[in-house]
Amino acid sequence: MTNNPRVRDVYGSKYCVLYQDCSFNELLFAVRDKVDKGHRLLTHPLSGSVKPNETPYKSIMISVDRGPIDFESSSLISSAITAATDKKFEKYVERQKTFNKRILEDFQLVDYCVITSAIESARTGL
Amino acid sequence: MKTLELGYIHIKDIIIGSESKVENGVLYVDEAALKALVLEDENLKDVSFDVAKPGESVRITPVKDVIEPRAKVEGPGGIFPGMVNKVEAVGEGKTVVLKDMAVVTAGKIVGFQEGVIDMSGPGAEYTPFSKTLNLVMVCTPADHLLAQDPDATLPIENEKKPEYEQAVRMAGLKVAAYLGDLGKNVTPDETETFSTPNLKEGIEMYPDLPRVVYVAMLQTQGLLHDTYVYGVDAKRTLSTMLWPTEIMDGAIVSGNCVSACDKNPTYIHENNPVVHELFKQHGKTLNFVGVIITNENVYLADKQRSSDWAAKLCELLGVDGAIVTQEGFGNPDTDLIMNTKKIELKGVKTTIVTDEYAGQDGKSQSLADADPLADAVVTGGNANEVIILPKMDKVIGMLDYVDVIAGGHAGSLRPDGTIEAEIQVITSATNEMGFGKLSAR
Repeated sequence: MTNNPRVRDVYGSKYCVLYQDCSFNELLFAVRDKVDKGHRLLTHPLSGSVKPNETPYKSIMISVDRGPIDFESSSLISSAITAATDKKFEKYVERQKTFNKRILEDFQLVDYCVITSAIESARTGL
Repeated sequence: MKTLELGYIHIKDIIIGSESKVENGVLYVDEAALKALVLEDENLKDVSFDVAKPGESVRITPVKDVIEPRAKVEGPGGIFPGMVNKVEAVGEGKTVVLKDMAVVTAGKIVGFQEGVIDMSGPGAEYTPFSKTLNLVMVCTPADHLLAQDPDATLPIENEKKPEYEQAVRMAGLKVAAYLGDLGKNVTPDETETFSTPNLKEGIEMYPDLPRVVYVAMLQTQGLLHDTYVYGVDAKRTLSTMLWPTEIMDGAIVSGNCVSACDKNPTYIHENNPVVHELFKQHGKTLNFVGVIITNENVYLADKQRSSDWAAKLCELLGVDGAIVTQEGFGNPDTDLIMNTKKIELKGVKTTIVTDEYAGQDGKSQSLADADPLADAVVTGGNANEVIILPKMDKVIGMLDYVDVIAGGHAGSLRPDGTIEAEIQVITSATNEMGFGKLSAR
């Protein structure tokens, strides 16, 4: 699940990519809805150090298959939403409006690199 | 017993000229020779060198890495093994260090999240690199890395950014190794010796002291979020062990440009303060067993595997205590808590060293994850603290991204040249290994 057009464009034809034109936090909510339906989280919903809302982009890997609700996934996405919606990150939303195309493409690139590292892990292990 | 002697040559001045040598505490740098060395890399078109001294009205930004020049004088291997020297194991013999100085690489790789070093003023209090003589190198990418489309908004093709990052990373390491070599025939001003017994020796020598291991978490998530161990991208490794002195010989290098305040630049790996403090207490209040390194990947199965292994190694070693440090915020907080929880559940007392994003008022939850077992924490400070950085007379690098670096905001760079931002813009301001100069009482 991603709101990053670069991830959609590169991986859309290779993997099951659900793209939404939405904010970082809206993507977390969309992932939570999937977790509530029994999909498991396969990557961490927060970024390595780029702060929530600092980047507009996020790509999160979830299982295609569904089962009973996975407690760990549910707990992780809830914690991530709590962290990301904290008011300390609100100011970043305003700042996003000032980003030019170059900055937006850089954020897309870093998110793409982060999810690519996860895809490499997923291809070689469980 | 693994023993390394560090020989410190205190550098009092750096002079850029036409000869390279260290004489009477002055580092003379042959600019043409250094340039030729850097430009061996076909991905770089040009490099400029400048010196920034403590107390000067100078701002360096955007900072990529900070490196301390070192060289092996005796013992196997070379400095930064697997990167600029062969991959042979290091950590014993003798190593010379050019103290009180650093090589600082600056340059725009992406348009955000890179650091500021102020050599004077209030910002200088927050970065340890305002206290070092800095040889700053700004690398210009080669034409073939640049966007071909004249209307493109990006100076460098997106696909080529990892190549540029690697070129700048390697250029800094090569220059630091070159400068370190200049110290090989110089008698150090002082020496310090670090000895680590093997497990059997340690138990026999200090039967009554608690055995403590250091668990160093390495940021490993992709472009600008990577760390290398003996030249290996650490995201493709299992948790493993190092002699503490291997780190002093540059076994771990940074490929990291995460928010500047909680970066662990190569300099801080070389001078890892947890390693140094544990050595100070070794044989007195504790028995320093060694270093476990573990990664911080994005993929959850990797997180589980790596934290399982870190805890398993603690169990295998039968240690009494562990100190855990991390790099980054958010996602790595989960690794931090997973490591701490699992190590505690093995019966090992654990202390975390981290920093906080507690909001500008300090009232928000500091970490993105928590657990009751993580009950001992040392903090490097609150990265959201606001600071106003006065205008500096000289800027090395470029200021055009200050509005968008982490902790900056629209209007951060004021017309009068001052910057209003959170301290997370400042390189290593809240370093998560505790490499800071400020404390609170």
